[in-house]
Amino acid sequence: MNARALARSPVASVVYVAAAWLVLVPLFKVQPRYLPPLPVVLADGLSVWPDLVAGFWRTLVETVLGFLAGVVLGVGFGIAFSASRIMERAFLPIFVALQTVPVIAFGAIVVIWFGNTIMAKVVIALYLAFFPIAVNTLRGLELADPQRIALMKSFGASHLQLFLKLALPTALPNILIGMKLAVALSLAGAIVGEWFGDTVGLGVMLLQALYFEQIPRVWVLIIACGAMGTLLYGALVLLERRFVWWRTD
Amino acid sequence: MPDETTAVATPPHLQLVNVWKRFGEAPKQTVAVRNVDLSIEPGAFVTLIGPSGCGKSTLFSMISGLLPPDSDGSLLLNGKVQQDGALLGKIAFMPQRDLLFPWRTVLDNATLALEVEGMPRRRARAKAEALFPEFGLGGFEQHYPHQLSGGMRQRVALMRTFLFERDLILLDEPFGALDALTRSMMQRWLLDIWAKHRRTVLFITHDIDEAIFLGDKVVVMTARPGTIKCEEAITLPRPRDLGVVTTPEFMAVKKKLLAVVEEESLKTFAAASP
Repeated sequence: MNARALARSPVASVVYVAAAWLVLVPLFKVQPRYLPPLPVVLADGLSVWPDLVAGFWRTLVETVLGFLAGVVLGVGFGIAFSASRIMERAFLPIFVALQTVPVIAFGAIVVIWFGNTIMAKVVIALYLAFFPIAVNTLRGLELADPQRIALMKSFGASHLQLFLKLALPTALPNILIGMKLAVALSLAGAIVGEWFGDTVGLGVMLLQALYFEQIPRVWVLIIACGAMGTLLYGALVLLERRFVWWRTD
Repeated sequence: MPDETTAVATPPHLQLVNVWKRFGEAPKQTVAVRNVDLSIEPGAFVTLIGPSGCGKSTLFSMISGLLPPDSDGSLLLNGKVQQDGALLGKIAFMPQRDLLFPWRTVLDNATLALEVEGMPRRRARAKAEALFPEFGLGGFEQHYPHQLSGGMRQRVALMRTFLFERDLILLDEPFGALDALTRSMMQRWLLDIWAKHRRTVLFITHDIDEAIFLGDKVVVMTARPGTIKCEEAITLPRPRDLGVVTTPEFMAVKKKLLAVVEEESLKTFAAASP
């Protein structure tokens, strides 16, 4: 990687933002209440390092479990919708309606059902992740080219072969789009889930920081959540580049 | 015993008897294909030409089993009447577009039909690999379709059709999208392959030169609703090379067919502009 490519890489943009923060806050004498200086934020992060690591890890586990469950359910329902008009007519409107229910209201119910367990956070993450995946799976499966379907049929292909060899690969780029939308939502879901009561997690720390007006701590947690979201999104992009690089024509 | 078998005349490979295809109900009914009678002898190379929109593709869909013909006609394969959908999986069909799967390598595209038939992947690949040099694709086994030129993609599609080993091959304007130079190379190459493998071929085109150059018989369809206008046996000697297109015999046939096709094209044109 040469200097020019390095200057344009995603890592470089993080450095630019950090440099701007470092320089501009003292330069314009920004009040710490609005934006504390970067060294103060970093020092605060170091002071709670063990809690931060434990919280990061817990929230990551909740997010990933909720996301994976959302992928399984979302792809499953997407396939069911594309296979059966009746399923789509019966369930899709319910799912659309569920999406309009505020996550806070839904979260309260989930906590009543599952208590303050990790399961409750996973279910809330799942609830947010599931819908974009189901819709994008359905859309992707509908993109299968009728002429290619005719070709496969002329070879004597069964329904299962049509699905596995044609419809599913056609849909994969769209499923990936749904997954990229869903991963950020499952992180938000896990954090909101933690607000209903827990002792470990980035969401717990965030709630405490807000309660005690620890502004630098809030910024530490914003950075931590941003890092986690970027990490998960980046993993999906790598997955996509390696395995789902084609575009449906 | 041998006397008995020779006594029975071999039935045509494919026979169409009074085949119709109508869409919708009267009075808004559209007739796409009407009263088509056609028979193709085993091992023959038959080309079919007609004005655009004459129902060629509908006819092909019916022959490949994708579309049932109306009940007043029938399709016979090797002398046996085929029920609706019975032809699926019995005829090697190559549509106009190459329809390669972008996520599969050239090799895996070529073996698609074999996989559908349930042949183990290793055997299917070995079988396809043997054909690569003959199809001018040696060294491109692990490439993806987007890395190939139009002519090469078309050859991959043809290989896929050939590997689906059926005695009857339907080709729907396979060279329509290629430039003139590539197209003429592909035509000679296709004749070589055909001479070697001896399958029965039905080839749709809108190019009269191509139809005469390739065919044992040229079939001309009328304007919509399509039916067979005339059939012309081509007796030019084989193997044919490029020079054949300038011989007086070729010119004579072309002149005759051109007049017929022109007449039908004018009808289509007149029908489209009331």
